[in-house]
Amino acid sequence: MIKPAVMMPVVLLLVLLSFAAALAIGAAPISFAEVFASLSGQESSLAQSIIWQLRMPRSLLAFVAGGGLAMAGLILQTVTRNPLADPYLFGISSGASFGVVIAMTLTGIGLGFYLSIAAFLGSLLAIFLLLLIAGFNRTQQVESMLLAGVALSFLFSAFTSLMLYWSDPQAVTAIMFWTLGSFARADWQSLWLPVFVVLLCLIFMLANQRRLTALLLGDESAATLGINVTKLRIGMLLLSSLLTASIVSLCGGIGFVGLMIPHIVRYFIGQGSRWSFILTALVGGVFMLWVDIFSRVALDNQELPIGIITAAIGSVFFLILLYFRRRQSTF
Amino acid sequence: MASPSTNFESILLSVNSLGWQVADCVILADISFQIPTGSFIGLLGPNGAGKSSLLRCLYRYVQPTSGNVYYNNRDIWQLAAKDYAKDVAVVLQHTPQQFQLKVTDVVALGLVPHKTWFGSNTREDAELVSYAIDKVGLSHKAQMQFESLSGGEKQRVMIARAIVQQPKLLIMDEPTSHLDVKYQIQIMELAKSLGITVLASFHDLNLASAICDRLLLLDNGHLVAEGRPSEVLTEQTLSDVFGVCAQINSHPQHQGPHITYLYGYINGGKSRD
Repeated sequence: MIKPAVMMPVVLLLVLLSFAAALAIGAAPISFAEVFASLSGQESSLAQSIIWQLRMPRSLLAFVAGGGLAMAGLILQTVTRNPLADPYLFGISSGASFGVVIAMTLTGIGLGFYLSIAAFLGSLLAIFLLLLIAGFNRTQQVESMLLAGVALSFLFSAFTSLMLYWSDPQAVTAIMFWTLGSFARADWQSLWLPVFVVLLCLIFMLANQRRLTALLLGDESAATLGINVTKLRIGMLLLSSLLTASIVSLCGGIGFVGLMIPHIVRYFIGQGSRWSFILTALVGGVFMLWVDIFSRVALDNQELPIGIITAAIGSVFFLILLYFRRRQSTF
Repeated sequence: MASPSTNFESILLSVNSLGWQVADCVILADISFQIPTGSFIGLLGPNGAGKSSLLRCLYRYVQPTSGNVYYNNRDIWQLAAKDYAKDVAVVLQHTPQQFQLKVTDVVALGLVPHKTWFGSNTREDAELVSYAIDKVGLSHKAQMQFESLSGGEKQRVMIARAIVQQPKLLIMDEPTSHLDVKYQIQIMELAKSLGITVLASFHDLNLASAICDRLLLLDNGHLVAEGRPSEVLTEQTLSDVFGVCAQINSHPQHQGPHITYLYGYINGGKSRD
């Protein structure tokens, strides 16, 4: 296990390097020298407009989305004490997809802004149903939430499939593309919402770090420390759905990040400190930056959907980590 | 050995005709007793007698359906949860396993009721945490994963967490079940050495007799006996409440009651000899 004080500078350096790479690498290659010249405002050329109007907002969105999804996963894994918890498991993401499909097929709306609102409403609907069904069952809150989340997830998927089945092939393609995730829609105007939500959530998480850690030892044990467990869990659940909704509504369905990144950080530095929260967010952001870079350069004249890459790279990396953990564990 | 049960100054916790029922099922009925400051109280009773339920009512996890619990003459449900947790620490029977926390992380959780939202650990906090870990004899394992410890060590970590909480009352719900004999004694003696008021439920009656100043005996949700170990642990109560045939002697070391169980239940109570 590595000390957070050692890990932090390393990860911060990685963040800077990854941003530089994300600005430089793409269909039109820009040298690192040009990147720095553009950032300091000296260059006034094509490179500068590519960087400021395309790659910068896009990379920021990727970074914020990766960090936010990783945080959402960390929250859900902590408050449910379930290593498999992530926004997908609770139906938050499928609720968002459902909202998008409804908007596209029923109203014919194809505009990004309205789709974002539809996705946002869809995920809020999912979380509302989840809390209505399982949120106030105090004795078995965690179990009922997990089961209700899985059931809701399937329910929304079924509705989504039904809508797709009825809609025309063009809409199906558009929806398909949306559900696989992309940062191509990033612009400066829409960036403030996820940035604001992610920062707000990070502050809330840091403020509640002790309480969240106490929850790992069980509801009853946490309650004896004076924590209102039900309130904390529902608050944190709302927070993670807000995170997911604000990100999914802009970027589409991006799975596996929320599940995987918290485990990776936990594997290296444990989970007892405030640093682990910050590091989870940063590592999630770095991971997503590289996924986005890969999506832009993997195929000529075409972008690979983000969701495919996160799932493919993510699962392989995760399996390798599990393999080594199995070999390391002594008991 | 001086008997502390005769000269208690004040009452720390007072339970007045407490009752708890879920739907029509009565789990606890009309329970009244008092816990004097500085005493070590043992809670006894067969499985399902309501020991855990009673303790849950006392550490505010369950709100009783009738009666009151007063801590320092104040109704515990009038107190803020956080304030009550500053004074009352709890050690439970077991803790979940699915997390990667170091021993120090777990012990530091005792600071939770004393901290504000963004409050970070001061030097005194760090000293308190390492003092508590030292007190339970786990300094050499402070940086290890909680999961890698044995059952007895885990319970000692939970006692260290309680020490960090700096309580005036420590409630323990069968903290020694599933532990080896050595650790059963060690955990209880450790709790006693803290010098604070302790209320603990016991499975081992002889251990309770050796450790406790006073005992409470629950049966079927009712408080059926209360008093010094010699008053509560009689051949009659053992037969009535626990359904065992036993002989009570004086323990050679602490002179309290020592129970020798007699055997031969299956062939009609006839002993083997």
